Amino acid sequence: MPATVRIWDPYLRVVHWLLAAAVLLAWATGEGWGLWHEWLGYAALAMTAARLPWGWLGPRHARFADFLHPPRHTLAYARSFLAATAPRYLGHNPLGGWMIVALLAAVAATSATGWLFTTETYWGIEWVEKLHKWCANVLLALATLHVAGVATACFRHRENLVAAMIHGRKRTPGLSDIA
Amino acid sequence: MRVLLAAAVLAASFAAAPAHATGLATCDSGPQEKWQPQEKLQKILTERGWQIRRVKIDGGCYEVYAITEKGERVEAYFHPVTLAPVPTQRR
Repeated sequence: MPATVRIWDPYLRVVHWLLAAAVLLAWATGEGWGLWHEWLGYAALAMTAARLPWGWLGPRHARFADFLHPPRHTLAYARSFLAATAPRYLGHNPLGGWMIVALLAAVAATSATGWLFTTETYWGIEWVEKLHKWCANVLLALATLHVAGVATACFRHRENLVAAMIHGRKRTPGLSDIA
Repeated sequence: MRVLLAAAVLAASFAAAPAHATGLATCDSGPQEKWQPQEKLQKILTERGWQIRRVKIDGGCYEVYAITEKGERVEAYFHPVTLAPVPTQRR
């Protein structure tokens, strides 16, 4: 049996890192770098749009149906996660799966409100700016939680998930793992 | 553990991200009591055909969000004492 298996396809990995870069750079350019900030916002929206069809058309672990579990199942996983007894998932675990949806929705909302601020009708309007900043803060909080969740899973299951999102391969599942 | 630490540092650096003062322009404008009122600037610009959306203070300047008489959306800076336009870095 090979020591590793391919989990993340190249398209998913490229979209993941481009989206992460666009969001981080957009955050960094939020004050006083308007042109850069706008284009980074469009890039983030484009990467989100690029991810969606892959959720139905992509290979197994890229599909929403593979990683979106019903609430009851997700709650049970959350309890075992807190108790540090959660099983290892080859794809996204149930909490990670819903985090993907939350992150994509937050990027879409942040980009949309940012774009709205640039339209002639809503240019300079205070509530649009406030809403955009609020969306961006929610997105950043989610991204921080995402990184913390990944870090915890790395530690618990003794594997480098960041590297797996770079080369796409993960350790061959053991008996107690969920492929 | 090192990864957890890195995540914590990352989170802290986001939380500490500075707000406001965009650095697009700065005005050496002294105490606010000596500034001309915002209303006066708004009146001048409105007479020029601008549609004023909002006036903020940034870097000691008045920062105006407006639609110009040509229909362009602008974020323009003015010195609060002289009300002269202040050039900004476009970036």
